[in-house]
Amino acid sequence: MTGPPSDGLTREAVRDRLDRVTDPELDRSIVALEYIDGIELDAGTVTVHLTLPTAWCSPAFAWMMAADSRTEVEELPAVERARIYLHEHMHEIEINRGVNAGRSFPEAFPDAEDTVDAVRAELDRKARTARQYDAVEALLEAGLESETIVSLRPRDLERIDGDDRLSIYLADRAIAVSVSAEPIDRYLEKARETGLVDAETDPLFLTPEGEPIDPDEFELVHRRGRLAQVNMSSQGGICDGLRESRERRLEVAND
Amino acid sequence: MYDHNGEEIFVIDGHVHLWDATEGNITHEGGEEFIQCFYDYHTTFTPEERQWSIEEYRKYGAERMVEDLFENAAADMAIFQPTYLTDFYGEGFNTTEQNAELATEYPERFVLNGSFDPRDGEAGLEHLEELNDTYDLQGVKVYTAEWRDESKGWRLDDEAAFEYLEKCEELGIENIHAHKGPTIRPLNRDAFDVADIDDAASSFPDLNFVVEHVGLPRLDDFCWIAAQEPNVYGGLAVAAPFAQNRPGKFSEILSELLWWLGEDRVLFGSDYAIWNPDWLVEAVLEAELTQEDRMEYGVEWDLETKRKVMGENAAELYDIDIDEKKRQFREDEISEQFGLEDHYASDAPAAADD
Repeated sequence: MTGPPSDGLTREAVRDRLDRVTDPELDRSIVALEYIDGIELDAGTVTVHLTLPTAWCSPAFAWMMAADSRTEVEELPAVERARIYLHEHMHEIEINRGVNAGRSFPEAFPDAEDTVDAVRAELDRKARTARQYDAVEALLEAGLESETIVSLRPRDLERIDGDDRLSIYLADRAIAVSVSAEPIDRYLEKARETGLVDAETDPLFLTPEGEPIDPDEFELVHRRGRLAQVNMSSQGGICDGLRESRERRLEVAND
Repeated sequence: MYDHNGEEIFVIDGHVHLWDATEGNITHEGGEEFIQCFYDYHTTFTPEERQWSIEEYRKYGAERMVEDLFENAAADMAIFQPTYLTDFYGEGFNTTEQNAELATEYPERFVLNGSFDPRDGEAGLEHLEELNDTYDLQGVKVYTAEWRDESKGWRLDDEAAFEYLEKCEELGIENIHAHKGPTIRPLNRDAFDVADIDDAASSFPDLNFVVEHVGLPRLDDFCWIAAQEPNVYGGLAVAAPFAQNRPGKFSEILSELLWWLGEDRVLFGSDYAIWNPDWLVEAVLEAELTQEDRMEYGVEWDLETKRKVMGENAAELYDIDIDEKKRQFREDEISEQFGLEDHYASDAPAAADD
């Protein structure tokens, strides 16, 4: 069996790294969304080509995806430098120049008044809220009561069976309930990334505003999670549709 | 009126435009980008055989608009929502004055809304009064993300905006339609953020705030605010054409709206000419909620709800007497032009009122 090249760099490894980058408005991987047109390897330099569903995609969101792609790919030890090329976007020149030169958003766009941090924080909040819905659904399906769910803390979770199940310990560890780890891990990733669930004793689940959940408000908070999902998937429907119509137009133009 | 299994549904299209995006009217590259972006939305959510060419789309004119809306009685009435964009278009994209061309010709069929922009200061307040004197406004459409010189937008909860809302109260302009749609520009800020509606709506409880495009892609923020503010409404423009090629999504969006706002605060709008009521009304009225959504949300898209969303809710906001309108339309100019006298005469409940 032949191993990978001595520098260990493969397109697959780059793709796996890019899979961590999400479209911030949809909270889905840019690999799964098929935004990646191509990956080129040349010694330690990686070039990634990206196309978003529409040329009008918010410049702030496009910037985040391009900048995050560069950061993620450059995390690979064998990569010295990543170049990102966004195509078919109304601001591709500013974004490509800015991201590849390591500039900040306001440096790249003289029109912009500030960085993209506030927009990113807002979209992270929505992603966390939507992911919490799936995690809580899994716990409800496993038979947990709402009072129990709002009182859970990270220390109550324990991993079993390799990676795909979690045990939840209740009643002073007298009872254990087993649930699929995936939705809870996915939620925790975002909750930790945003610094809201840090210590083992922090409340596991929160309101969209980041507060502990009052048991009386459980149902309403849960409905807000569902609403955040519907919002994201609706926007995903718009993006998909815009991409399809652009592809149709390009096909006609190429015929 | 739409014939829904033998039941009539009076349709007020709550969101229409008569625009001019011809090359001669474009004075800034943003104007070309804007109409191209609209056109992408048009082609994405319009059945292939009903799509227009970009040339037709730039300027379709008053005559065609009347045919599209009323020839087949797809809509019975329509509400003009102006979009000025005077930094992009020399004569404006779709101003109150441009819309007035049709609205004053057929006042029984159209509601004409005005507009304001708080960055116009004192002069803008006077202009709003003049508009109101000329057209007797009941509503305004505001576009918070519009560029103006160095400014890249404004908020409805700004102090300056409050002065305008006070003026609206004073003039009896009760319906404030705010465009809250997809983020395009300005760059780093979300100019269509819906958060400003919250404070404006609670500070002006006697005004009605209709959030156009139900805040998409901020449906979540919008519903949460609307659930707490009884004078906040949702306009379905942009969400409506999902009925045609994303029926599952349409079902979810509508279910969320009916769950959070209830059936009295959702208003149909086509956003003509982005979409055309001549096919859209049917697509929305024939759409069904999925069994799963009906179970999960406990809401129905039944005849009573359809009547409210398609016409009665707008009629309530704009003091339109639907039965009176049906009588009037037995012999108005539009009905004569398209041979619709019988269509309106056949209405039994209205006849019984004579």
